[in-house]
Amino acid sequence: MYCFLRLSVLLVGLIVSAGSYAVNAVQPLTTADDLGPKVEQPIEFPHDRHAGDAAKGGMQINCMYCHTYARRSIVAGIPPLQKCIGCHQSIESVRETPRIKKLFEYWEAKKAVPWKKVHDLPDFVRFNHERHIQRFVFAQNKPVQEACGYCHGDVKTMTVARRQKPLSMGWCVSCHQKDHPVDATSTKTTHGPNDCWQCHK
Amino acid sequence: MIENSFNRRGFLKVLGWGGATVALSGCGNTSVEDGKEFVTSYVQTADYIIPSIGTYFNSTCAQCNAGCGIMGRVREGRVLKLEGNPKSPINNGKMCGLGQAGVQAHYNPDRIREPLLRTGDKGEAITWEKALALINEKVGGVKAENVAFLTGGVSGHVKALLKNYLDALGSGHHYVYEAVAPSIMRAANKKAYGVEMPRLHLDKAKVIVSFGADFLGAWISPVHFSQQYARFRKADKGERGVLVQVESKMTLTGANADRWLAIRPGTEGILALGLINALAAAGVSVPGDVVGAVKEYTVDRVSKDTGVSAEHIGKLAALLKERSPSLIIAGSAVEGYAHGSQNATAIALLNQVLGNVGKTVEAPSSVPFPQMAPTAGNRFALQALNDNMAQDKVKVLFSYGANPVFTAPASMKLKENLKKVPFKVVFAHYMDETAVEADLVLPLNSALEDWATAMPEYIAEGAQLSIQQPLMEKLYPGTLGMGDILLALLKQRRPEEYKGYEDFYSYLRSAMVSIKGALGGANEDDDTFWDTALSRGVVKLVGAPVNISSNASAKGLVVPAPFVEDSAYPLHLIPAVSASMRDGRNANEPWLQESPDPLTTIVWDSWVEMHPKTAAKLGIVEGDIVEVASRSGAIKAQVYVFTGIHPDVISMPLGYGHEAMGRYAKGVGVNAFKILDPIFDKETGELAMHETRVKVSKAGQRVVIVKDEGPAGGNQMGRKIAVRMSSSKVNLSEEV
Ligand code: SF4
Repeated sequence: MYCFLRLSVLLVGLIVSAGSYAVNAVQPLTTADDLGPKVEQPIEFPHDRHAGDAAKGGMQINCMYCHTYARRSIVAGIPPLQKCIGCHQSIESVRETPRIKKLFEYWEAKKAVPWKKVHDLPDFVRFNHERHIQRFVFAQNKPVQEACGYCHGDVKTMTVARRQKPLSMGWCVSCHQKDHPVDATSTKTTHGPNDCWQCHK
Repeated sequence: MIENSFNRRGFLKVLGWGGATVALSGCGNTSVEDGKEFVTSYVQTADYIIPSIGTYFNSTCAQCNAGCGIMGRVREGRVLKLEGNPKSPINNGKMCGLGQAGVQAHYNPDRIREPLLRTGDKGEAITWEKALALINEKVGGVKAENVAFLTGGVSGHVKALLKNYLDALGSGHHYVYEAVAPSIMRAANKKAYGVEMPRLHLDKAKVIVSFGADFLGAWISPVHFSQQYARFRKADKGERGVLVQVESKMTLTGANADRWLAIRPGTEGILALGLINALAAAGVSVPGDVVGAVKEYTVDRVSKDTGVSAEHIGKLAALLKERSPSLIIAGSAVEGYAHGSQNATAIALLNQVLGNVGKTVEAPSSVPFPQMAPTAGNRFALQALNDNMAQDKVKVLFSYGANPVFTAPASMKLKENLKKVPFKVVFAHYMDETAVEADLVLPLNSALEDWATAMPEYIAEGAQLSIQQPLMEKLYPGTLGMGDILLALLKQRRPEEYKGYEDFYSYLRSAMVSIKGALGGANEDDDTFWDTALSRGVVKLVGAPVNISSNASAKGLVVPAPFVEDSAYPLHLIPAVSASMRDGRNANEPWLQESPDPLTTIVWDSWVEMHPKTAAKLGIVEGDIVEVASRSGAIKAQVYVFTGIHPDVISMPLGYGHEAMGRYAKGVGVNAFKILDPIFDKETGELAMHETRVKVSKAGQRVVIVKDEGPAGGNQMGRKIAVRMSSSKVNLSEEV
């Protein structure tokens, strides 16, 4: 009985590992392959309306316009409420819609919007946004939405953001093992750092 | 059955080789709490605030009276770490460990969070309106002369407001008390140099002889002196300064000295006069009257009295003659006796004979705004208050920045006398020993969330006003700053004068802006001046130079013969002021309890330092619990056997042994203040801290001392890494 169980676990392990390896190998970067839970937010922020393609009614705003800290800090940060209001105080057309009304309620009460965290890493993992944005967007001239999309998926098509990627160590490593050009013009390539302490410090 | 055989170990084994990838990528959701935690953004923020990146704001350290400038690293609205403010000439960007622990005073879980009114044995939470109205009612109901305000050392705008409040009440009873303060030295300096706190130029001296001044650890402005000391050791002129430390119990500074001389307690003045005599004999020009006065202090006699060998006295005199300028410092070991003033005067005289006055002992500059100048505390103030309380002369007592119930010796019976005061208001951060006795406890903002200005007593150059500004929002809505409380109290008395100020901040700003001309902002508009002052953290003041005089004279200078043996209480107790613990006001900050004492490496407890010879005589070994009994009381603590102490002396650190205050302080160690004998300096009336005689007896138990050094103690595990040499074998003149 015991041996049998051991064997079955072993087999399951092998099958699952082979399976997940296969998934990793063909993983496209900007599609969902590990959907996180739906997160209810105090305001259902429409990413599609703000960042989406003009053809689909989006405003094509650069991700970094609002998530301005991503290129300067290890966290991307949520923009201060003042940023939302900065534009919306002069956009009369949507001023009376329920979401914007709620937004102004927070502003008038000088209260922060209690956003929920969608992408949460364990505390022993140190992920640095700045390094990734500097490398992909500024050194390699990749489009911002593509660079953000490596980890966040195609946010411009979503309303409330939802986790698209596993954000697990193996998944991080699968990308760090690949060679990338060091910058936009060079033919030299290198891969991301694979030392433990890069993330676990 | 299945659960039993399928154990965790077996599972891990399988995972070990087959399931590595499963563990890495397949194990479901590795995000900890997707969609559960909040990610709160700012409502409004400045451009320079970037999440996860620290912003530094300048302020002033309030952990001791040195008033170093600090720089707090603030991230996401919380202060995380303190650094020194490079713009403050006191500390030039450096800090001490005590200062670092300031964040633990701020985030301390034992802080009081709302005003408490005594009902029987309990404190009942009340509103600030009610608390302030109650104070108004109580001070209104008594004669002004029956109102007493006890504080620690105060300066800056809080001092000015406090004075105005007392004036408004018509009472001048302000008692400024510091349990550990160089007050006898101040008086002696005043007589000798015309100033209480001359500037010491350690960096200009070629030799420093420090009589028990722990200037690298806990004395006056240790961070500043440490920097001067570094320059003294590695002088631009190329000559390494020589430090000789003379004391009965080794301090951190003593441990750094080139030569540490153990001296019989209380004979420091004798040695100073003996050195003058030896210098005169060696041809140094000494005024005739001084020569006459010291001629009896022959090397032999001084050696016999002080226990310092004739050879060392000779070498010391030769060193002082050869290298000039020098600097002689009188520390707390000098002034702790009934003849403390004479001791300190003898040392001032030695400085004068050596021609150091004006070279290494310099005049400070005056402070242009005397209403903000520091009022330094002393021990006499508490004595005076205590006498008045005993005679029922105090009806309303305020206590701020002092914890007299903890620091008063038991013989003062302060706690009993306090009970005679019908209404006691204590401004406090913790429910410390004094707050526990109060009728009304008013919780203060921490130093990292409060506005204030400070003028430190010891300023290295010129004069300056240090600004203390909040580094973050208040943690608890129910606390208030001292400035705010005083302002509210003043509004009760002088509403017309103060009604224009909404809070202490607006008062402070307008007070500073109104004198901006004197603060170097004559050509700036108000906002620029204020913002610059806040961003720098210190404001330079133009003080007039004060003349320093060489008034020390041998006239009337009598240093008594050394102590006679006391067979009932054969040992001297030296209450040690440690760099972390000082007088115990910061004892509830666990970093300070946890950081090992630099000499003994002991943590989280009191100890009795004892010379091996004394220990052997008493049959005591390390870890023995002993009873230390003076005429005024007895306490028990563990023994630490240590060679850096005179055999006639034992030493116990101050600051431990709290009976209240908080979870990290309460019940840790014993309170050495309690057993100090009521013996006072004859000239100033200050409590003579080093006068207490004790006897030591074994209490029966033995413990393993919790300390950082290895079980072999200072023996370097028997490996002779730094070789010991007996002091008689060292030739000081070769060393230097
Ligand atoms: S010496 Fe005093 S003021 Fe300076 S950093 Fe240390 S505790 Fe703070």
